[in-house]
Amino acid sequence: MNRWWWLTIGFVCWMAIGFAAFGGRESRVDSESAQTAGRAGRIVSLAPSLTEILFALGLDEEIVGVTLFSDYPPAAAKKPKVGSFWKPNIEAVVAARPDLVITLGFAQHRSLADRLERIGYNCLTVDVEKVSDLFRVIVEIGAASGTQGRAEDLAGGIKNKLQALSDLIGTEEKVRVLWIVQRQPLRVAGRDTFVNEMIELAGGENAIGPTIHKYPPIGAEQIIASRAEVIIEPAMGQEDLNLQRRQAFKYWSKFGNLPAVGNDRIYVISGDTVSRLGPRLYDGTETIARCLRPHLFED
Amino acid sequence: MSGIIEVDNLSFAYTADREILKNISFRVDAGTFLAIAGPNGAGKSTLLNLLCGLLAPDSGTIKVDSMPVGSYSNEALAEKFAVVRQEPVPAFGFSVIEMVLMARTRYFGSMGFESRQDRQAVNEALEATDTAQFAARPLSSLSGGERQRVFIARALAQSSSILLLDEPTSFLDFKHQVAIYDLLKAAQLEKNKTIVTVTHDINLASQYCDQILLLGADGSYYTGNTRTVLSADRIRKVFDVEIFEGKIGQERFFIPLGKSTRERGQSDNKKSQSPHL
Amino acid sequence: MKTEPMQGLLTPKKLIIRTGLGLTVLIMVMMACAAVGTASISFRAALEGPGEQATVNPDYEILVNVRLPRILLACLVGAALACSGVVFQALLRNPLADPYILGISSGAGLGAMIAVVAGFSWTLWGRSPIAVFAFIGASGTVWLVWFVGRLTGRFHVTGLLLAGVVVNAFFSAVIMFITSIARADKVYATIFWLMGNMTAEGFFTIWIGAGFVLAGIVALFFIAPQLNALSLGPDNAVSMGVNVKKTRLIAFLVASAITAIAVSLSGLIGFVGLVVPHAVRLVFGPDHRQLLPLSAIVGAIFLIATDTLARVVIAPTELPVGVVTAIVGGPVFLVLLVKYSRQVGWMK
Repeated sequence: MNRWWWLTIGFVCWMAIGFAAFGGRESRVDSESAQTAGRAGRIVSLAPSLTEILFALGLDEEIVGVTLFSDYPPAAAKKPKVGSFWKPNIEAVVAARPDLVITLGFAQHRSLADRLERIGYNCLTVDVEKVSDLFRVIVEIGAASGTQGRAEDLAGGIKNKLQALSDLIGTEEKVRVLWIVQRQPLRVAGRDTFVNEMIELAGGENAIGPTIHKYPPIGAEQIIASRAEVIIEPAMGQEDLNLQRRQAFKYWSKFGNLPAVGNDRIYVISGDTVSRLGPRLYDGTETIARCLRPHLFED
Repeated sequence: MSGIIEVDNLSFAYTADREILKNISFRVDAGTFLAIAGPNGAGKSTLLNLLCGLLAPDSGTIKVDSMPVGSYSNEALAEKFAVVRQEPVPAFGFSVIEMVLMARTRYFGSMGFESRQDRQAVNEALEATDTAQFAARPLSSLSGGERQRVFIARALAQSSSILLLDEPTSFLDFKHQVAIYDLLKAAQLEKNKTIVTVTHDINLASQYCDQILLLGADGSYYTGNTRTVLSADRIRKVFDVEIFEGKIGQERFFIPLGKSTRERGQSDNKKSQSPHL
Repeated sequence: MKTEPMQGLLTPKKLIIRTGLGLTVLIMVMMACAAVGTASISFRAALEGPGEQATVNPDYEILVNVRLPRILLACLVGAALACSGVVFQALLRNPLADPYILGISSGAGLGAMIAVVAGFSWTLWGRSPIAVFAFIGASGTVWLVWFVGRLTGRFHVTGLLLAGVVVNAFFSAVIMFITSIARADKVYATIFWLMGNMTAEGFFTIWIGAGFVLAGIVALFFIAPQLNALSLGPDNAVSMGVNVKKTRLIAFLVASAITAIAVSLSGLIGFVGLVVPHAVRLVFGPDHRQLLPLSAIVGAIFLIATDTLARVVIAPTELPVGVVTAIVGGPVFLVLLVKYSRQVGWMK
């Protein structure tokens, strides 16, 4: 059994060498340097919503890499691609020689940011889950890219417009809204989502009560019990909205008891402004408000 | 390296209600060729598995070279017993020589390779069984008889003192049956191996084996020299079938008689010739 | 007359030559694949070394910090999966066995899913929670299956396989349940991870992983003659003096460990563990002393090549590696099968 001893000894030595050579070195580059980078000359954004924020801050020249499906504003689509949102290509990111890489906070992005920082790149990881996050993140990105002033203006502007909308709605009773995320199987947006926040800002309330899941699948019973006054379906993709509207009406006609169906208040809206939490937050919210209270916007 | 087996009052049962072996005792001296015969279900294969240590007896002892089987380590036991079982062709295409070489696994060096002695043992085994010509071929390309010789070669290559075989000729034609027994007899005489084989063939056992153990289904058994133990009466009793005993020179043979033959024999009985019935 | 029958047999010399050649090919493949990628880099520029800041010499950064770790990882995972496949095929005496047959895939999947859905964000020695939980899930499942299989008494191949099937089914159901109630993006993230991916890991992780995998392969090589004997069935192996219990335990432990490590590093990559052992067996024969090192090398080469394809075929998007291994491996294996099957008896 000599050889087993040799194997064990070899294994232990290997591990020891590993810890000695690589163990402590993999420490993060200080994230302070990300903040004090000054005006970052080359920025890579790994999410479409982040790309939008960068454009809104006037950083279109500095952007040297975006993910696929970064389609707003149209100029973003022409930027070099560094992979998809779910699987960014680290090689492409490095090849773009960025001064700053901005990622979201979920597992894949976080580990990628980790990796990039260990190599020596500046990364900023942000979480954009709620509306309040958005304002904070805009300011963070502004700070990291040296556009603090612009960022505060942007955030402030959105807040003001939302306030104005809220004033316009006043104290009218909230409209019960059913927000359809998917039709087969039927899934709606629950109360713990940013969509719900937009609905509330637009003077509505989610027809579905509190649920465990953020986007719960629901059955016919719950639909009827919801007594929704308005049904909103965001259309994905660039398909004909009118066609989708007709299909939606057909689908919902079987729920004749719902106030929304009885009053023909089924709206199919373009998904662009309501699927991402980004600078077009106001546009999305206003679109929703138009569905809920068309009379306020007839002027 | 002697190969003496002593079985003393051995009993074994798979389930509590059916005892297969009841208080069996016998002794096999070194260099003996023992046949174990009996009707189906008498416990022949079970006995074989008990001898080589795969099963443990319920009561009684089995000793090999004066030490109980259970007291040997696995490797030490492999020096005593080599076993040839009924086996299917393995799933992966090993060649004949690779298979025979596996018998020497416990001797391999630290890097897992064989030594000159191992190769010599393998060569001798291949030649003794006349399978050297197939050495490089995959096992599945051989016929049943050839394959059986390869398994015996593997058992021979193990260089053990005792060879246990479980019905080595049951699926073979006459020529191959004789070839196998010739082979075994040569191993006994030239290498002084103790050979224990379970067999259905009383006649071959009678020709080749020195000792026989007749196991009855009811737990009775007879053991001793082949010539003294085997008689038409005894075989009839153990196997519960009509037997015709004949003689060619010194060799006796026993043939089971079916119903139609018996009836024909009875009508022939009216004439003068009378076979021993 | 004495040496003639021995000709087909494996000798130390033959083994060393074949392994040496294999390693040479492996290194050549590694170098070739290091030159290929989304960004075109020049070796010369890379050799100038890192600049003061990361952005100064991207060629070096890409080569050393992105491509090299990835290639090394593929090498590691490919070798681990191939050897694990060899061992499970030997243990279960079943040519259809692959490293995931005893529930490792669903165990890893469940672990990964739990980590993602629960939203853990800590790291353990630089490994993400998804990897750690996948490892725990994989190894835990194997031991569960082993334990359940043992309840059938002596080591019973059928019992073990059935236990694996049952555990697989149960965990898959749990995974589907979580999928139905969890948030869509988290589910998507898990599935994407599980489909097999070679993310660039740090050198520390690679070194440690390599240590385990190499030690495992060497340990398996030590028991290779016993694995040969095991193919004759446990009764025969015991009669020949092989310690079947110890062999099985070591084989099982090592194969499960290196598979769990591979899965935690790179998700579930199929095909390598099933097909590489067969391909090597068809060309070189079933002797495990040769099968193990050569399968490790071929597995490594195969995975490096397919991973390179996965990352350049539709750049800058990457395909999941598992997809490429199946698409590439399938036809290659068919060709081998047709060409060599006549030589090997078992295809008759």
